[in-house]
Amino acid sequence: MGESYGGLPPGASMEAVARFLAGLRGSSAWPASPASAESFGLPERRPAAVVDADPLEEVAEGGLAVPGVPEPGFAAFLDGIQRSVVLPGGPHGVPLVYGTVAAAIRRRRDDRVLETWGGGAIVRHSLYAPVARADRGVLGQAGAAGLDVVDTAAEGAHPHEVLSAALDAIHRARGAVEAELATRWCARETALLYVDGGIAGLGEPASSDRAVGVVKSHRTVYGGQAAMNAAFAMAAGQRTHAFTVEGRGRASVASWYLRLHAGDGTDPFGGIVRVEVASGAFTSERADSVSRWILAERSPVALPDPRWRVMPYGIRAVEEYLRAAVPR
Amino acid sequence: MAAILGHVVATERRPNTPHEFHFWTALDAPVGIGTIVRVEGTDAVAGHVPQVYGVVVEGFSYSDLETPLHDVLGADGSPERAMRVPTRRTEIRLYTAAVLRHVPDEPLQPVALGGVYLADDADVAVALRMDRYTQGEAPTGIPIGLYRAGATASPIYLDADFLLGPEAAHLNITGVSGLATKTSAVEWLLASVFAHFPSAKGSVAALCFNVKGPDLCFLDQPAERLDGSDLDLYARLGVPARPFAGVEYFAPYTARGHTLNTLRSHDALSHNVHPLRWGLGEVLQHVEVLLNKDDVDAKADALIEFIRERIVGQEFRDPLLGADAHRVQTFSDLDQWFRGVLRAMEERNQDSWRTHHVATIRKVRNRLSNISTRCRGLVADDGLASDLPWGQFRDRGVYVVDVANLEEDAQDLIFARIITKLRELMEKRALGVDHLVVFVDELNKYAPSDGADTYVRKMLLDIAERGRYLGLVLFAAQQFRSQVHRRVVGNSGTALYGRMDVDELATPGYSTLAPATRARLSTLDKGELMVRHPHFAHPVFVRFPRPAVLSGREGVERFPAAGEPTLEEAIVRSLRQLDKAVTLEWVKDAIALAEEDEVLRARNRTLQVRPDDVKAFFRAQLRRRVHAEPAAPRPRPVIRSSPGDDPYAF
Repeated sequence: MGESYGGLPPGASMEAVARFLAGLRGSSAWPASPASAESFGLPERRPAAVVDADPLEEVAEGGLAVPGVPEPGFAAFLDGIQRSVVLPGGPHGVPLVYGTVAAAIRRRRDDRVLETWGGGAIVRHSLYAPVARADRGVLGQAGAAGLDVVDTAAEGAHPHEVLSAALDAIHRARGAVEAELATRWCARETALLYVDGGIAGLGEPASSDRAVGVVKSHRTVYGGQAAMNAAFAMAAGQRTHAFTVEGRGRASVASWYLRLHAGDGTDPFGGIVRVEVASGAFTSERADSVSRWILAERSPVALPDPRWRVMPYGIRAVEEYLRAAVPR
Repeated sequence: MAAILGHVVATERRPNTPHEFHFWTALDAPVGIGTIVRVEGTDAVAGHVPQVYGVVVEGFSYSDLETPLHDVLGADGSPERAMRVPTRRTEIRLYTAAVLRHVPDEPLQPVALGGVYLADDADVAVALRMDRYTQGEAPTGIPIGLYRAGATASPIYLDADFLLGPEAAHLNITGVSGLATKTSAVEWLLASVFAHFPSAKGSVAALCFNVKGPDLCFLDQPAERLDGSDLDLYARLGVPARPFAGVEYFAPYTARGHTLNTLRSHDALSHNVHPLRWGLGEVLQHVEVLLNKDDVDAKADALIEFIRERIVGQEFRDPLLGADAHRVQTFSDLDQWFRGVLRAMEERNQDSWRTHHVATIRKVRNRLSNISTRCRGLVADDGLASDLPWGQFRDRGVYVVDVANLEEDAQDLIFARIITKLRELMEKRALGVDHLVVFVDELNKYAPSDGADTYVRKMLLDIAERGRYLGLVLFAAQQFRSQVHRRVVGNSGTALYGRMDVDELATPGYSTLAPATRARLSTLDKGELMVRHPHFAHPVFVRFPRPAVLSGREGVERFPAAGEPTLEEAIVRSLRQLDKAVTLEWVKDAIALAEEDEVLRARNRTLQVRPDDVKAFFRAQLRRRVHAEPAAPRPRPVIRSSPGDDPYAF
């Protein structure tokens, strides 16, 4: 994936690139508000599920109190964003998707102010399309202009299937830049990194004691019914017993649920996160320590972000930084 | 190249204009209200990358909080916990700056989204257009203070052409009392003017009215304490840290006439304190000041004009008064003349003389005779005047007229006569100096925006509106600028503001200032001023040093005012200015048989003439007395004794 492209200045806005592409297609017309692939409301390709997991601690029916006082333990926060712009279908009705992914680490200084680590964000722009069926002329000129073209190899005839495939590819690209940053961190730093999302898919950081993954969404519930019941029964500041999470193509990590805030009464998972740490160094004491560090990040609250019950302020700050740093 | 300080930002809701721009800085940037900054343009326009200079007029700080309630929630209502959060919220320091200058001046465009730098000395000079008058072969800069921001400390200069004329003129100072703003600022600025006024522009002097307490009574005495920072300021601004060299004080006598009516009455300081004493000739031109409109109707005015034109100072003959010529020189002479006229009219049963009705004559006599009583100590019945050195004002001289302890009538008369005289002499270029600064404090009292149209206010308006053509410059001070006649403040090219009262700042005259600038004005420290000047597109804040002269408060402690002396002590004090050999014993002997009025008249005459032989002259003024000799007893008449047996006999 490329970080610059000919004919356009590095860091050109998504809209500028999209106009450029429209020009390649011989169309000067461009929607005033170009649509993103996410806005099409495509169905979630991964079904919701409850999966069993091997317990690492004695299975508890309810929440386990996290001993001690919450205290800051993280030195930095890692998160990523993704954006997409859909070009209207070409002669064959195959849409092109221009995607941008970015990730950054914001480190906490001694004065408790966040600064960007590692020289800035990693930003990648690519053109996503099923190369075999897309307008080859346009793709050729885009490639000649320096744009990175990613073949989504989408097979479905429906344009939404093409978009879904593009979104999957963009999501993977985002995971890749996050993994790249996390790997750099673990290689260079000794302090602890708070990763927004799991670490199991990050490669080397999944086995590092310098990265902790915190998952906000719970489409897949790990630990079976017992863990889920325990999670729902937790009071704020409590955790479940730990278990092992394994997946296809992912590392094995130790995991547990932790309630940061009381739920709002509508979402049963409200206020609950799932923590992932390297399984090699797992102990119950470490689970308690990591839980205390995470609980300490409840303040300041990440409001006005609607996910504030499960999102620490540091992650919100990374997202804000990326939104400001990556032009639309 | 200086380190970048901030970055210009603009949004659709808060755009930049050619006159105003916004920028943000790091949290620890040395920027505050009044800081001067330079913006480096991003794109060349007509071959030039624009540079924009601005002064910070407003500051904002906010975080990513949507509502304060979120902070309360996050800290569970505990401020202490809010302070202990592991991560500080993202915070912005956003400033608004008013544009001082664009370089180049054209085309005048909105400020570009460029880098912001702290202005250095050269930048400050350009920003305030001081480069036009502080450089070249004939600089006209007058230092007013030091502008400070971060590590920057740049001298700020006023343009002499715009301070003392002829381009613009006059200075107005506003500030609350008691914070060493007004008097200190004027003392400092006069020292700066004297040190830097270009010799090519001629000579300059100052005439100050001391209107309250001992404020200006010790201008020739060194300050008790000037610390290192003050001396640094003097050195940086090129002004010698020493008191004024040529100061002369003038004050009327007290009502008793023994001593001068001033707090500068300590023996050690009497060498340059002179009586201010006027006779009929000096006062008659300004009697309107002391007479109200009921007193001076058209008929009375005609008679006064007649007296002024035909009687005073010349021989006057009239059949009514007989063959003898009358020569009226003093108030006593005038009263004598009135008496003669009225008596003759009575004898001839006339009810008018030379078209003037007897009632008018009586009325004018009454009012004019009254003046020496109402202004006792200033106006003398005799003809002995002691006045300012008209025509002999010296370059860099300071002339202080102490009116602090006088009644309002006497103050009005002094203002009116001195200002009229100054104007007359400046018109003729005959004062002795080319430029004269007139300092008047308490303008709220002397030139109020409302109230009666007094003679003093007319005089001050006259200076403010026409003085600059004559070289007559008004430095005026007051506590409430909003309550001073707008033509006085409006004609002041330069304005200084010290610590301000918040109620005063709420008046419409300050609405052009940004709220943060007004807030800073209400908290200014001693020695800080905001300066408006014709060359400055926006006011700037400066610091000036403590005056190098003894303050009034310290002065009265070091040189306590002498108490009301006896007649003998008063004579000794006065005559010793002329002859150190005069002693109390000698005076007692000399005046032993004289009346008090006669003694005072002799003293006044001696001080006026300043003879070589003071003692002889003084004695000669006293009426010659024949020494008393014991009379021989008169021979007692012989009383015949009566016969003892004659009870009816003597």
